[in-house]
Amino acid sequence: MSLLDFARGPAFHVAILIFVFGVVWRLVGVFLLRRNRDLSPARAGHLLEGGMRAILMRSLPPHELEKHIVFQHASGYGWHIAYFAAFLLFGPHMPFIRQFLGFTWPTLPNTWCLALAAIALALLIVLLLRRIVNPVLKRITSVDDYISSVVTMLPLITGIAANAHVQLFGVRYEELLALHVLSVCALLIWFPFGKLMHLFLAFPARFQAGVLLQRKGVEA
Amino acid sequence: MNATTFETFRTELAGLAGRAPRSTLTDAERVARAKAVIRRRVDGRNAAYLETCLHCGMCAEACHFYVGTGEAKYTPIYKVAPLRRVYRREIGPMRWWYRLVTRDISAAELEAFQELVFDSCTECGRCDLMCPMGIQISPMIGIMRQALTAAELAPAEYRAVKAEQTTAKKDLGIGPAEIAALAARLTAEGVKVPVDAAKADIVYFATSLDVRLFPESVKDAARIFNRLGASWTLLGRSAELLGTGESNTEVNVTGIVAEAEQRGAKILILPQCGHAYPRMRFEAANILARELPFEVLTIAEYIGRQLKNGKLKLKPIAGRPKVTYHDPCKQGRHGGVFEEPREAIKSLGLDLVEMESHGRTCYCCGGGGGQFLIDRAQRLRQRTFEIKMHEADATGAKSLVTSCNSCRYNFLAGAAQASWHTEVQSLVELVGRQLAD
Repeated sequence: MSLLDFARGPAFHVAILIFVFGVVWRLVGVFLLRRNRDLSPARAGHLLEGGMRAILMRSLPPHELEKHIVFQHASGYGWHIAYFAAFLLFGPHMPFIRQFLGFTWPTLPNTWCLALAAIALALLIVLLLRRIVNPVLKRITSVDDYISSVVTMLPLITGIAANAHVQLFGVRYEELLALHVLSVCALLIWFPFGKLMHLFLAFPARFQAGVLLQRKGVEA
Repeated sequence: MNATTFETFRTELAGLAGRAPRSTLTDAERVARAKAVIRRRVDGRNAAYLETCLHCGMCAEACHFYVGTGEAKYTPIYKVAPLRRVYRREIGPMRWWYRLVTRDISAAELEAFQELVFDSCTECGRCDLMCPMGIQISPMIGIMRQALTAAELAPAEYRAVKAEQTTAKKDLGIGPAEIAALAARLTAEGVKVPVDAAKADIVYFATSLDVRLFPESVKDAARIFNRLGASWTLLGRSAELLGTGESNTEVNVTGIVAEAEQRGAKILILPQCGHAYPRMRFEAANILARELPFEVLTIAEYIGRQLKNGKLKLKPIAGRPKVTYHDPCKQGRHGGVFEEPREAIKSLGLDLVEMESHGRTCYCCGGGGGQFLIDRAQRLRQRTFEIKMHEADATGAKSLVTSCNSCRYNFLAGAAQASWHTEVQSLVELVGRQLAD
């Protein structure tokens, strides 16, 4: 069995299993925890509307708050958009996506995706460096942050290398492709253990904050 | 209020720590008690927040203690680190994993966090608005405060207040006798103040700060009730609703609700007090595990409503002076009371100029959540007060109005130190003096 066969076969299947089981375990564990009932009368109605609004509006805080976090906001949303666009709109990913979903969608030219991946990678590197030197981030950073950063960057690095047919340390294309798939496996395996879970929890957290603040009559 | 009364009170606060009872708990008992509170209070809502944090640090930029000092340890989410660890190791779905890769909390660590959750957090909730994930940090700070209180690791001033409430049934020297004396004095001055009437539609109470420093606010609230012909009474108890620990909060809330129920109250009106409002308005029903049979309002909210429905009329203040308004965090961001005080300011004929951070993003006065009691936190309070001072100065207003006497005290203390000459005014007193026939 070649490295590529191993990556695409057993490694990927195990990674998917850990990912699915881990994500479900963590989500169910959180959502099944008891929730203290609120017995005070709400100051304002339309609680669900408040929750939905918070999902959207949390990305746009009021000016007096936003002005202090322009870089974090721009870089954060920037790398997420570039990352997902490079993943979801890259032609060579489509056979893989068809295998899972049974359908595909239009893609961007490969060079555009390469550029987007490079942008995402550059922003991730800047944010990682910032995490290392910024006193606030140093104070709240854990091993999870570094592992999550690395496993997020690895598919970009190996993907760019494989796509550009770069000979990294003399490694052949098939091996680079295998490393790319293995890096995705690493991402999937780590996913349920660390902060990457915010992909599934961010909107529920925003929603419940919106409901809570709506009860008090405060815009979330 | 004269300068001597103010200075006497400040001196008394400075000596409060010396009256704190000694703790005899062992380290193991402290940890066990703190963890028991965290396990009981952290629910699915907190869990979703704790699981979602990205460690992005944006909350720091919303916190007046971080903005005022630049010290990274004041980052809001960092202040709940022990709570988060207990959640991960003992409550969360990945506890089997976190028990392998993290260590348990220690008494020393809890003690080190005392400064972070009491001295450098007023539970103002500004960070709750900043978090891109919607994480509500301030309620978790509340749990941390309760955990440390249970572990007898609250600051000495808080422990002294709690002891006084428990043993002497007084708060900062104020008990039923002092309240009755104030009511008698105000009645003698021509403003009738009924105390502990058997039946009343409206139940109002005074805080120790009102009695000690701002009795005029009680007098003007009485003027308003009397002018409206309301059936009302002042409660003859001084119990504060300090968030210094679950036991006192529960006792105080239970007592106040029982007294209001006995009198058949339709409305419980909170005085110009910050922490009392959300405690009674949003938490009391949950503490008692039943709905309250009366409405809970803050006095500013009551005034605003009476003005809006035309029952209360005011004489506009001559010259339309320029003022700015400070939204007390616990009434505004934690309670949604934004429009009513502004309605009163409009009816007073004042020219309101808003600070850059106003309404839901208003900066804290610097000493909320009982922080003004902590003597050693003076430097921190002053740094955060200066943020407010600069925002107020930028409006060009020579007068700052607020509807919380704790905020008012903090402004007066900060102003004295910074030689700030902006007048600090009380909303209820402005309204009480401008009542129209």
